[in-house]
Amino acid sequence: MKSALRNANHLFFATRSLLNPRLPHSRLLVVRLPCSTLSSFGMASGESPALHSSPSVEDQFKEFRNQLEESGSLRERIRMVVNDIESTSRLIQASLLLLHQSRPVPEVLEDAKTQIEVLRERYNQLAEIVRGCPGQYYRYHGDWRSETQTVVSLLAFRYWLESGNLLLHSQAQEELGLNNSDFNLDIEDYLIGICFMSNEMPRYVVNRVTAGDYDCPRKVLKFLTDLHAAFRMLNLRNDFLRKKFDGLKYDLRRVEEVYYDVKIRGLAASGDPMQEQDAKEGQS
Amino acid sequence: MFNYAYTLERLSLSLMASNPKGHRLHHFAGSAVHCLAKRARTMSIEPSMKDAFSNYADYLNELNEKRERVVKASRDITMNSKKVIFQVHRMSKYNREEVLDKAEKDLAAVTDQHMSRLVKELQGTDFWKLRRAYSPGVQEYIEAATFCKFCRTGSLLHLDEINATLQPLSDPSNEPLQINILDYILGLADVTGELMRMAIGRISDGELDFAQKICRFVRDIYRELTLIVPHMDDSSDMKTKMDTMLQSVMKIENACFSVHLRGSEYMPMLGSAERGSFLLGVSDMEF
Repeated sequence: MKSALRNANHLFFATRSLLNPRLPHSRLLVVRLPCSTLSSFGMASGESPALHSSPSVEDQFKEFRNQLEESGSLRERIRMVVNDIESTSRLIQASLLLLHQSRPVPEVLEDAKTQIEVLRERYNQLAEIVRGCPGQYYRYHGDWRSETQTVVSLLAFRYWLESGNLLLHSQAQEELGLNNSDFNLDIEDYLIGICFMSNEMPRYVVNRVTAGDYDCPRKVLKFLTDLHAAFRMLNLRNDFLRKKFDGLKYDLRRVEEVYYDVKIRGLAASGDPMQEQDAKEGQS
Repeated sequence: MFNYAYTLERLSLSLMASNPKGHRLHHFAGSAVHCLAKRARTMSIEPSMKDAFSNYADYLNELNEKRERVVKASRDITMNSKKVIFQVHRMSKYNREEVLDKAEKDLAAVTDQHMSRLVKELQGTDFWKLRRAYSPGVQEYIEAATFCKFCRTGSLLHLDEINATLQPLSDPSNEPLQINILDYILGLADVTGELMRMAIGRISDGELDFAQKICRFVRDIYRELTLIVPHMDDSSDMKTKMDTMLQSVMKIENACFSVHLRGSEYMPMLGSAERGSFLLGVSDMEF
């Protein structure tokens, strides 16, 4: 009690001088009142019992709590599936990395393909969960966003190895079994994933040349040049995608350098990465 | 015109072709040739890729324009809601009705003019997708609405009630805009700061009962929110708000406390009739 009183006095001094600096100092001494006076303050206030803490207020917050707990448990479920997606995409990545060690392409692609089946299953699970809360795709989007970007980059790289073309957004959705689903692949995630894929290219080119494949830089350069030009059609904001797109430029440059190194040594095949130039050379 | 462009294109291409270094050259040159070379390349993209990317470009353009419109609406909502809050602060025991009438009218104008813009923009998944674009405005709007309502009735404006007032803004064909729990809670956390200012002002005007009412109200909100914070999506933002809120609660409590003390000091000497005028002297504090 004693220390509480001291505290109270202290607070009173502080607040009072704050409230009215003009108050003569001598008046502050009045505060040293007997204990009994202090303890009667609570009653002197004349306040009625709290009325506004009505049941409806409590009900509202209780309802909030329920809803937030629900969304929390939904998020838990999403995270579990996303963890599986992450580990599966790691397996795919590991198998694609064998390319740099000159493992034959078809073999590597086959390995990856079986894993993509697993991935499709996981994405169906994810779609199933999110279907439970219509319209809230973007509420939980952050939970699978970066994993999905990685997945797109792997799918696109694999597809390119197989066909030499870019995996389009609709094709990526197709591969993940999402085409007829309300759970779709966000276009920005797709585009970021494609930028990630291009990061893989310089290393691939360097290792292919080392392994004696001198035609590879020309093909990759053609592909990346097209891709870069395609990206330039987009009006980007100053966001993550923009940054990743800027990175694509450096991949392109690195591949150009490799191509140049190969070409001036006369190692490259006669083909040229630019179609127009092909045509021009044909004319001359 | 076409001819000119075509010639330049040919020129840039032959420049590149005549020299194996051309690929490097055009990349680093940064000249007009460089630009043209890029344009020439754009022409050469594979049709399937080009089609796909022009779709993506349309999608991104549309999304960015929409986001921009939402941000603008949100900014207007913030600005005008702030004005409503200032209007409520002009309240005193003499002009209460008049001031609150005007504040409510202003708030209704914000709803009609600006919230309706949000309602029109946000359809389907946009509601969560663009949340970061509109959240600041909506929070400020909630702050103004709950502040008004508390000063009028002394009770908490519920989320359902706010959403009900937004209902008539949307066409039957559109989905109605429903403010989400998170923005409501964040707005509610902010309103305690305004209530703190209000309480201090009321004390200086001698409206002690009102100040105490505010004090109880803010305590209740703080207590309820303490239970909710751990369940929120991005609780870091909310945690700082909780700290600020506790500061506000304590400021009100301390002010009420010191007035209690002073009240019991002087009341017997001055009599209850003088109480108000005495307290009126303590008007110029700043929080």
